[in-house]
Amino acid sequence: MMDNDFSKPQRESAFGIIIMGAHTLIKIVKASFFLFIIAFVKMSATSFIYLIMGILAIILISFVFAYLWYLKFTFFLDKEKQEFVVNKGIFNRDQVIIQLDKIQQVNINQNILQKIIGVYGLKIDTAGAHGEEVSIKAINETAAYNLQAHLLNRKAVGGVQPEAVHENDLTEETPFLKISGFTLFKVGLTSNYGQSLALLAAFFYTVIYEGRQLLDAFKINKDEIQSTVTGMLTIVTVFILIACLLIVLLIINLVRTFYKYFELQISQHKDAMLLSSGLIAKKNTLISPNKVQITKYSQNYFQKKMNMLNMSLRQAHFGQSKKGHEMQGNTLEIPGCNPIERDELLKMILGDAPLRGKTFIPDWRFLNLPIFFKLVLPVSIFLILAFNIPEVKPFVGIAIPYFLIGVLMIYISYRRHRISVNQDFIIKTSGIWDISNEIVQPNKIQAITTFQYPWHKGVDVGHLSLHTAAGQIHFKYGNYTEIKQLVNYWLYQLESGNEDWM
Amino acid sequence: MSSDTFFTNETIDLDHLPKYEEISLKQPHSSYWKIICINLVIFFVLLGIGITSLLLFVDEIQPNAVWIVPVYFILAVIFFILFRLSFKKRGYAVRTHDVIYKSGIIAESTTIVPLNRIQHIELNEGIFSRIYKLGSLQLFTAGGQTGHIHISGIAIEEAKSIRDLLLKKLDLLENPGTETEI
Repeated sequence: MMDNDFSKPQRESAFGIIIMGAHTLIKIVKASFFLFIIAFVKMSATSFIYLIMGILAIILISFVFAYLWYLKFTFFLDKEKQEFVVNKGIFNRDQVIIQLDKIQQVNINQNILQKIIGVYGLKIDTAGAHGEEVSIKAINETAAYNLQAHLLNRKAVGGVQPEAVHENDLTEETPFLKISGFTLFKVGLTSNYGQSLALLAAFFYTVIYEGRQLLDAFKINKDEIQSTVTGMLTIVTVFILIACLLIVLLIINLVRTFYKYFELQISQHKDAMLLSSGLIAKKNTLISPNKVQITKYSQNYFQKKMNMLNMSLRQAHFGQSKKGHEMQGNTLEIPGCNPIERDELLKMILGDAPLRGKTFIPDWRFLNLPIFFKLVLPVSIFLILAFNIPEVKPFVGIAIPYFLIGVLMIYISYRRHRISVNQDFIIKTSGIWDISNEIVQPNKIQAITTFQYPWHKGVDVGHLSLHTAAGQIHFKYGNYTEIKQLVNYWLYQLESGNEDWM
Repeated sequence: MSSDTFFTNETIDLDHLPKYEEISLKQPHSSYWKIICINLVIFFVLLGIGITSLLLFVDEIQPNAVWIVPVYFILAVIFFILFRLSFKKRGYAVRTHDVIYKSGIIAESTTIVPLNRIQHIELNEGIFSRIYKLGSLQLFTAGGQTGHIHISGIAIEEAKSIRDLLLKKLDLLENPGTETEI
């Protein structure tokens, strides 16, 4: 049985050598993949042996490094100081010390290789901004969950030991939220197009870029290919192409959703919440609800019809460091909850179901700037171009639908933009297609900024930004007198109590 | 976060809360304007050297001198005016529970940082600031880049006393009643 309280420095599982070695290897291969193909094709038979030897050398070096790294990597829990200490570094000695109360979340992950070997990876996220993140690459399951429990159970100073967690405890915990495969299917159909599109674009970019290099290497005539491609481009094929792309996009979206959120479930675990999901690489995240800074749920038209919404929990991503490194990726997404599950989750995180208080809406001047910069300006530039360049002239009609749709969208965003405030919550609503609601508790506010343009002084219109550790909340073009009153109220709330924000 | 302090709202009269917008703010030290001027002059001298060398050595640009030179001077004047305006608008105040800073070139923005949200404090002195015995005070919060206050042009003694005052208050905020945590 393993040492359960982690008080003595210990190494990770010896399998870590394999994981780490493979990790380095994959990195090298990824970086030089196309180089290898080119070398492979253009090479004479004699140098083939050198290539094989080179590859073997790289593998050997990766694993030697992995072994050294394994020898030097130790970690332990300092109970008295309430710190988690990691020693690492092959040539130089690095020591990372993490105060337990600065830990935001502890992830237990398993990628394919780890799954085959039967170990887990453990990652610690802190509020610190840079480099303080620690990841342990190989640790067995019981030890992983034990360590996770120890790390998050910081109240047990001396004496009382957090009871060891056994595998069974975790698996038999009844989740209060479970996302089924069918729901995921619906989620995949209705959300996150933007991210999939970006992924697709990145994919095409690499294919074209690397493809060009390959063509150069093979000395294939590029013009020939170009002429055949342009020859194939007729209106019909363009439509077919677009349709294909859309279908591909949907499929990518579905695959991504299933890969990331398969069997997503959330269960309560003492003071913390345990999220687990993933198709091939399983991910377990334990977070304490009071570290969530902004809770957000969003819904679009389709999702409303299907009675579901997406939630995300944003944690602090700014550190105390003045260097301005911002750590992203501290957002936990929970797609496809129904309203009942949402309310339950909100209750868990915020301690109470958020009620909408007094609602503030923006002034109509909200419309001015976007209409000018997004519609009037580009349309006039386009029209000037169109009347001077004969090639563009036939498309002049596009300006009208663009303008109309633009006006409609800006108007919708104006109607949706609102903030509602009561004693315990601030709810900011915004969006055009995806309507999102961001919920903040006043004690999570770090600083408040109000600002006003000189020409808005007469009409008493101004803007508000609430700075939290997980980003800002803006309310634009509000009644400035009301905004100032709100600010005074929040300052009173912040300063009269001394509630922790983390 | 359980709401252990459950109180009813009727006792708070919003109109009687202290109003941040009515606090009289302290202006930066008048010597600070000189530092701004020195910085602007350095900037425009460097820019001027760049432009003249371009005009002298690149023949194609020479005909454009007709508008480049006036634009340069107009720009310089505009910059001085804008910085003068923004200098006039700056102001700061330290209250018992928060720090207020007002600034802005065109828009007027006011940032308020409650003392119990300050993460750390920094006092900087530049070369020119040293000559005039000025310093700039920076207050950092967990709200990232946008959520911090940077007050420049405070007399160094005053800056130091503000810093010490804030540090003392931070200590007071953190220490009472913390037997178990930290």
